[in-house]
Amino acid sequence: MSTVYPYPTLAGRVDITVRQAGIDGKALPFSLISPREQVVALHLAGRDDWEEATLELEVGLPNDELADGPWASVACVAVLTEGATNSRTVARLERRRDDTRWRGEIRLRRSMYVARAVLQVSVVGSYDGIDGRVIGTGDVPWVVDLLARTAVRQRDIEIVEEDFRDGPQEWLRPFKEAPWLVETSGELPTVLLNTSFEGLGALLNGARGPLEKAAAGLVATQIAGDAWTAMFHSAVGDLEVDDDGAPQVPDGWKEPVLRAMLPDVFPGLPLADALAEIHSRRTEGHGWAELQSRIQFAASRRAQAPKNLTTALRAVSRPQEGAAR
Amino acid sequence: MEDSEHFGVWLGRQLRRVGMTQAQFAEELDLTRAAVSAWVTGRAQPKPTLMPRIAQLLGTDLATVVTRDTDAGSARPVTWHHRLAHADGGREYGNAAAFAFDANLAVLAREATQNSMDERYDIARPVRVRFTLHELTGEHLNRFLTALKWNELEPHYDVAARSRQKVGRVLAEGLRLLREESSLLLLRVDDYNASGLTGPEYGDGRFAAVVRRQLDSHKRDDRAGGSYGLGKATLWAASRLGLVLINSTLSESHEGRTARRVVGRLDLPWRTVDGVAYAGPAWLGEPDTEKEHEGVSRSWWADERTAADLWLERDSDDPGTSFLIVGAHDAAGHSSTLKETYDALVEALADNFWAAMTAGRSTPAVLEASVRAMKDGVTVVEERRVDPTERHPALTRALRSHLDGETVAELTAADQVVATDVVLDIPALRAAGRGSGVREHRAVLLVTPADDADTEHSRIVCMRGTRMTVTTRRPRNLGLGVDPFQAVLLAGFATGNDDESVRAAEAFLRAAEPPEHDRWGTTDELTATYLNAPRRLTEFNAAVDAALRAVVGRRSTRPTGDGPEILRGLLRLDLPSAGSRRVEGYPVVDRVSGRVDASGSWTLDVTLKVPQRDDSWQLVPVAKFDVRSGSRPALRWAELTANENCRVLDGRIVVDPEVRSARFSGTTAVDSHPVPASLAGVVVDIRQAQEVPA
Amino acid sequence: MNRSGADVPDRLALLPSAVASKYLTNAVRSGHERLPQVAILRAAGSIEDGSARWSTGPLKEILDEAMSRFADARTEADAWLAPRLHATLRMTRAEAARPELWNFLALAVAPDYVLWRHLATGEAKDGTAKKVNTPRFAGPQDSQAFARLWWAAEMFRDGPDYRPVEVACGNQDMLNTVLRLDTIDHKPTALAMVRVLEGMVRSGATRLGDRVNALCTAVNSAGSTLLYDVLAPDELPDQEALFAWIDDAEGAPPVPWDRLPDGPEDGTARRASVDRLTLMFQELADGAPLRDRSRKRAADSA
Repeated sequence: MSTVYPYPTLAGRVDITVRQAGIDGKALPFSLISPREQVVALHLAGRDDWEEATLELEVGLPNDELADGPWASVACVAVLTEGATNSRTVARLERRRDDTRWRGEIRLRRSMYVARAVLQVSVVGSYDGIDGRVIGTGDVPWVVDLLARTAVRQRDIEIVEEDFRDGPQEWLRPFKEAPWLVETSGELPTVLLNTSFEGLGALLNGARGPLEKAAAGLVATQIAGDAWTAMFHSAVGDLEVDDDGAPQVPDGWKEPVLRAMLPDVFPGLPLADALAEIHSRRTEGHGWAELQSRIQFAASRRAQAPKNLTTALRAVSRPQEGAAR
Repeated sequence: MEDSEHFGVWLGRQLRRVGMTQAQFAEELDLTRAAVSAWVTGRAQPKPTLMPRIAQLLGTDLATVVTRDTDAGSARPVTWHHRLAHADGGREYGNAAAFAFDANLAVLAREATQNSMDERYDIARPVRVRFTLHELTGEHLNRFLTALKWNELEPHYDVAARSRQKVGRVLAEGLRLLREESSLLLLRVDDYNASGLTGPEYGDGRFAAVVRRQLDSHKRDDRAGGSYGLGKATLWAASRLGLVLINSTLSESHEGRTARRVVGRLDLPWRTVDGVAYAGPAWLGEPDTEKEHEGVSRSWWADERTAADLWLERDSDDPGTSFLIVGAHDAAGHSSTLKETYDALVEALADNFWAAMTAGRSTPAVLEASVRAMKDGVTVVEERRVDPTERHPALTRALRSHLDGETVAELTAADQVVATDVVLDIPALRAAGRGSGVREHRAVLLVTPADDADTEHSRIVCMRGTRMTVTTRRPRNLGLGVDPFQAVLLAGFATGNDDESVRAAEAFLRAAEPPEHDRWGTTDELTATYLNAPRRLTEFNAAVDAALRAVVGRRSTRPTGDGPEILRGLLRLDLPSAGSRRVEGYPVVDRVSGRVDASGSWTLDVTLKVPQRDDSWQLVPVAKFDVRSGSRPALRWAELTANENCRVLDGRIVVDPEVRSARFSGTTAVDSHPVPASLAGVVVDIRQAQEVPA
Repeated sequence: MNRSGADVPDRLALLPSAVASKYLTNAVRSGHERLPQVAILRAAGSIEDGSARWSTGPLKEILDEAMSRFADARTEADAWLAPRLHATLRMTRAEAARPELWNFLALAVAPDYVLWRHLATGEAKDGTAKKVNTPRFAGPQDSQAFARLWWAAEMFRDGPDYRPVEVACGNQDMLNTVLRLDTIDHKPTALAMVRVLEGMVRSGATRLGDRVNALCTAVNSAGSTLLYDVLAPDELPDQEALFAWIDDAEGAPPVPWDRLPDGPEDGTARRASVDRLTLMFQELADGAPLRDRSRKRAADSA
């Protein structure tokens, strides 16, 4: 869905790069800045007492288009935001006369940010007597990760191997019998695998031979199926609703979950319609029970149940093969 | 004048030039023949009082006799000398060396420039190389051909072009362009601050190495990459006509002179012209007067006028050589227009010599290269210095930091360069026996983040000597997810150091290079010279990879959230969903355009993409204002108008059956705008109308 | 609905959301059952830092006072409690962004307050008991009973001045709507919106709720094309001052009940910036159409 603006906007590319970063005046190793993934990792092992990070920024704008365009008093600002802390830091960037790039720095206060801040760039100008209009934004924002030790744009669901019985996480004790647990209330959904459940880790991590591999595949399918189901429910749990009652596509990990699963839950319905349908069934209760089998089907597809089950069935139907060796 | 030629040698040549015997000369001077012979052989000098008379007899002035920096009398006629066929009847169908190379201008640029660098004269200054593309047509072309004595060559070309060999086809095309299109492309390669073609006409020396002996490699010292070796053949290979003219300013005088030593060389296959059989080459020059080479065309000291007519004049007295490739072409390359050829040269120079062209703050560059293009004597593309930072910003930055001593141990900014030592264990020489020790050379590995515009990256550029790139290889075992980088390995002299171990490393690595100088591997020379050489090379490569990994590799694998691979594969959020690739089974908004009209309404023009079906689609269009975050306010339509393939019914768009697209426009109701239209972006969405129960 | 008394833990701790949601049964949320205190304490992780600010005593005190002061008008407790909660539970935004902290406060320290403030009286239409929505105990910061108040105070305070917080929290529409909008992450924007609201209240405007919603929608819509940060520049807060104020929690007396406490002296918004946006938002508010509630209801029932 593209937005139509009531004034001319930039067609050219706007890109932002972090050239250098420092923590309390000490330069950050460049290996913690990934221009390719557009991530800065601010976690320094052994240093948790820092107060401020400084990011040196460089922005490329379509300068010719700006020079020839109808906008006045053009400014370029970097905007650092984080939903969890409602924090927002804005820094103006400048372009020197002989330079083609806009440069500047933005300061990230440790007290204001907690986990993952997003760094975006906006180009602002005056048009038709109105100041401060956004005429362009960066193509892909950067992620400034305060917790990561490596500059990786994490897109996957977290899988944590944890000892439910004797591990440090007290709250897992009641679940000591459970082989795994799916947690969707955090920033990222997490699958917790119980290391005190004997044999589970060994099977998933080091299956050998067709039979063991087939078993591991089945278990993985089972876990993944649970995870997708839990994520789906969590994703449709509290949808924001527009004025006209249409639910919005949620952000973060919930969006890809819904995009992946809704076409299987409501085949033939566009995303917006499917979202509206699921929202009304959930809030009004009618047809919600009937939907569970569709959700289960969608989750089992994501978990590749048919493929892994077929592999397993074939493996058990040839038991001699393993014994002969 | 310490440089001036010995009187006897000079006199002997003058006598041959004027066609006078020693006896006749003695008679004119009223002396015995033995006296003149003693002068010519250098056993004695004439009395100063005789000098005016000697000058008169040779038809010159006293000054010339004293300084002997020029030949006396009028110039001998410049002419083409074609080598007669071998008496044994052996035939050659072209210069073998020339065909060892692809006739590609990029290769020519590389080889010619490398030769110039190897011949750098004053090592405190860069050697300057200039490429000039010059297209001649019409009158300019005729004047050039006259100066070239084309009429002497034409019969030979006509015959040679009839040859069915590859060379014949190339020549025929060259002649066709010349005759039918009246166009000739010259490519001139000048170098300044280079040695120039010094040495005698036929004996050992740079001149003979280039002009007389095609397969000779005249190596000056152990820094050279193969000076005037096989590479010079690319000059001839780049000419459709196998013809190259040369003008050299010598760094040390020959025959008492340095400026404008001119000669031309042509390579044609075996041929018969007017019943006479000729072997391959021909030379343009003065007929030699020495007995041994009588009639052979030799280089001559041309006057300025002649040099200009042949497009061979040089800018300054700075020593060096100008090669003029007549009928230049890019046979194996892809350049056809002058501009394309120009660009190909600039690219080749930047790609091969960015390192040599990089200067530090107190370290001059080894090379300055420029390219220009002309047509009929008028510049069409201004001369431009090849700037290595344009095509290879990150590589150039890496080397410059090294030269300026500004490298760091750990990267903290995108424009920094890490330098780290990599040890090369140079094995003992076989000749020295097992007892002699392994020597240690510290090569330097430079690493910097790649530039956004780099097309090639994440490889190791390996250099030695005058910072020539020997090979560019991919590192091994770097792991996944490494950000693009540039790495330069400086070994041997390329490190900028010069001591025993550096020289040993240079020799070792050169021995590891095949004749093309394009990789380090096991060669016959290497195994014959060194003990355990292949193992040392492998260890060196592994050490380079390890050093690189330490700089760019990920610090640690992800400590958490990794989990078993088998499970992770089923929990990816970034995979395209199963449905995203299939064609949507429902109508979607394809395009929206719009504007705010005078009354403050949005007028929106919407194009829909609709799956074909027999029934009509009933759609509800919804316009909303965009917001910073959260819920979007919906707008009411004041008016909906069907434009193509649809009609409007009750605020719905009813799309005609069997169509694939539809267009409608809508005007929003101003009183439903939560802010003036000029202050908000607008989005349009469609929903399928709920079936209304009848 | 018994007040939990003696068994309230002395210090705040961190309760994972997964645990919290498992104990929030219908019976608990309708006030018919007590939460399993011991199980919750066991599942919670302690806060390492030994600072006095994590003591529950002062918190219980203001919560009890709020319940007695506003026994007849529960919603009015928000405006009173928000600044006092913020000044009592002194912490950085990074610390406040931990949902585990708010879970613990709601489930282990003051479930009685959550029930008191958010449980609707009477019976639901279908005859089942009314219950508090789960997010009031454990949920997003704009819904959770305490997080919403603390964050409202953080977003609307002008440096040490909590007066704008009182105004903003005095209007439920403002509190519920605006706290979800990203636009208020810019302090001058938040303060200007409060000023416009204040003007509406002072002039005794009719349909105040609709007007507030219209204002929010207008500011949010215009925010899709205007970068308020450029129109109305602001500065980074003084982090040192904030830390000093937080450290003062060790010796600070309990917050006053009848006058507003003082927040951190970490800098007020630029006057000129707030003025400029106030003028602009006032104009937007004056021009914005009020939502036609009858149409909305029709759309809902369709």
